[in-house]
Amino acid sequence: MTILPDSFQKQLTALRETYTQQLLNKLQQIEDLWAERHVNWNNRTLAALHRMIHNLAGSGATFGFVTLSDRAFTLERFLRTIMEADSPLTLEEEAQVSALIAVLAEATQPDPLPSSRLDACLLSHPSPPLSKNNRIIFLVKEDPVLARDMMLQISYFGYTVRTFSNPSELRVAVNETIPAAIIVDLVSVDGGFAGTETIASIQHDREVPIPILFISVRSDLAARLLAVRAGGYAYFTKPVEISALIDKLDTLTAHQTPDPYRILIVEDEATLAAYYALTLEQAGMLTSLVTDPLHVMQPLIEFRPDLILMDIYMPSCTGLELAAVIRQLEAYVSIPIVYLSMESNVDKQLIALSLGGDDFLMKPIHPDHLVKSVTSRAQRSRILRSFMIRDSLTGLLNHTKTKEQLAIELSRAQRQNLPLAFAMIDIDRFKSVNDTYGHTMGDRIIKSLARLLQQRLRKTDCIGRYGGEEFAVILPNTDGKTASLVLEELRSGFAQIRHQFTGQDFSVTFSCGVAEFPRCPDVASLSDAADRALYTAKSRGRNQVLLAGNA
Amino acid sequence: MSSPGLVRILYIEDEPDIQAIARLALVAVGGFTVEICSSGQEALQMVTSFHPDLILLDVMMPEMDGPATLKALRTLPETTRTPVIFMTAKVQSHEVLQYKEMGAIDVISKPFDPMTLSSTICSIWASYHDHSS
Repeated sequence: MTILPDSFQKQLTALRETYTQQLLNKLQQIEDLWAERHVNWNNRTLAALHRMIHNLAGSGATFGFVTLSDRAFTLERFLRTIMEADSPLTLEEEAQVSALIAVLAEATQPDPLPSSRLDACLLSHPSPPLSKNNRIIFLVKEDPVLARDMMLQISYFGYTVRTFSNPSELRVAVNETIPAAIIVDLVSVDGGFAGTETIASIQHDREVPIPILFISVRSDLAARLLAVRAGGYAYFTKPVEISALIDKLDTLTAHQTPDPYRILIVEDEATLAAYYALTLEQAGMLTSLVTDPLHVMQPLIEFRPDLILMDIYMPSCTGLELAAVIRQLEAYVSIPIVYLSMESNVDKQLIALSLGGDDFLMKPIHPDHLVKSVTSRAQRSRILRSFMIRDSLTGLLNHTKTKEQLAIELSRAQRQNLPLAFAMIDIDRFKSVNDTYGHTMGDRIIKSLARLLQQRLRKTDCIGRYGGEEFAVILPNTDGKTASLVLEELRSGFAQIRHQFTGQDFSVTFSCGVAEFPRCPDVASLSDAADRALYTAKSRGRNQVLLAGNA
Repeated sequence: MSSPGLVRILYIEDEPDIQAIARLALVAVGGFTVEICSSGQEALQMVTSFHPDLILLDVMMPEMDGPATLKALRTLPETTRTPVIFMTAKVQSHEVLQYKEMGAIDVISKPFDPMTLSSTICSIWASYHDHSS
């Protein structure tokens, strides 16, 4: 960055002050123009209003008014849809514009963030703050052979591990990359810890501490206390159960941002629907629009909404009828349906709720209010749903849901003319694992395979626990050959994970059968073919992946 | 690698407050030689004497909008081939494509950050010359 003269900062400040002074005036002009709708409203006034809003949207953030820009932009888009519709303003549109102008007028204070950002630039800090890398783990361990071994074990679960032989190396590395967690396994002469001071000082320098996991042969309170004082988040005694360690890493590095909420909007008026969609999307949600209520089934199945936002008065069928229909489908008994309506009569509202709706939001609704109401209901819906469709041990989709999902993904693949692969996985000789090491160990192995699949497959792949030790994976937009390669990699990774049982190590393998669409054209033939390939893989000696049709 | 130097920039923008901060951003931060016009018509006069290396063009202007101005500029011998960047409110990728099909080398979204406007322009300039050479 070039060194900027002081005069630049002064000029910048002066420009921002001028803009701020003019802002109230501009908003007044906007309000005046909007008030004219009662006397003289035509396309020309609408265009003038749109233009003024457009200018605010395009300039606000440049002068530090980020919120103003965002709100003006929302209003600008709404006005544009009205202009494109080219019909007289409806009462609802009018109410929305008034509401949006009102929130716009509230944004005449500059946001603190951009101004401090500008100042920070002027002080010339070229490097952005280091961001935490969610998949990098640092491991400090003296013995290079053992360190490498542990690095491999952890990396099977999708983490990248960097090893260091002493704390000073670690200290240097932390200045360049911030890991998601640090694992410290250092033995001092007396069998206790070494390096706790360096670790504590690394921690001391940071505003946000890095999670540290200690591994030690000692299990006494004094040793644990030492670890806590050095900033330890967790403490493991040797030999370390790798799946317990991964459990801990998973919780420590858990995704900060969950999947966005999916909202299905059923509203016959396109401009309003677009406005709701925009408002929710700006709050980070995903939306799907249905303007003809009779077309609700397809998006309901394929978009998999967390919540349905529905207008009550629509031409072809009312929101109440539609809610009743949706409620009669078993799969959608629990999905929240929220009505948007001008209906203020409580008795009528209650009738609507008895027919299957969950709540009423009054139109016109303030954008913030809409976002908050929808968020809290979608969140609850998602938690409830996860109890219904997920396996309690592994958190994977349960049998019913997996089959349902296969049908959904397959029909999508058929429509878009894309390949799809379906894989069935079965842990080899699982019964003997249970008999030898006990059911607790068996559960642990099931969990470790589940975690491996979750870590290594794409977000768009569906993973289900089909039965006891049987798993199923749906890979959309993937042909059989590619899927086989992916599963082969998983098979080899899983076989290398070592499980500990009272000091003794053992490993477990799985067999897998893969089938592909379009070679198998429907759900039954896909799952049959995968099942048969799995059976052949077993009979050929287990611990292998087989693609159906290549037998 | 050997992209010709970028020195003279013409910015066509009707909003006076944007004009002022853009001038500051381009001159003080970027060190460019800058002329600003308030309309397409004014720009058509200006280019005969100013000879810009690059033109920044606001899309939404009264009377003659950005695309119309671009068309008119292309008919003048001074600016038949001068690279143009459109300046417009947040756009979606298919809209960017449309603007590029009209002949713009890129689109910069408004509101812009005055601190980074010049470096954005420089990187567009560099990648434009990388691709065209």
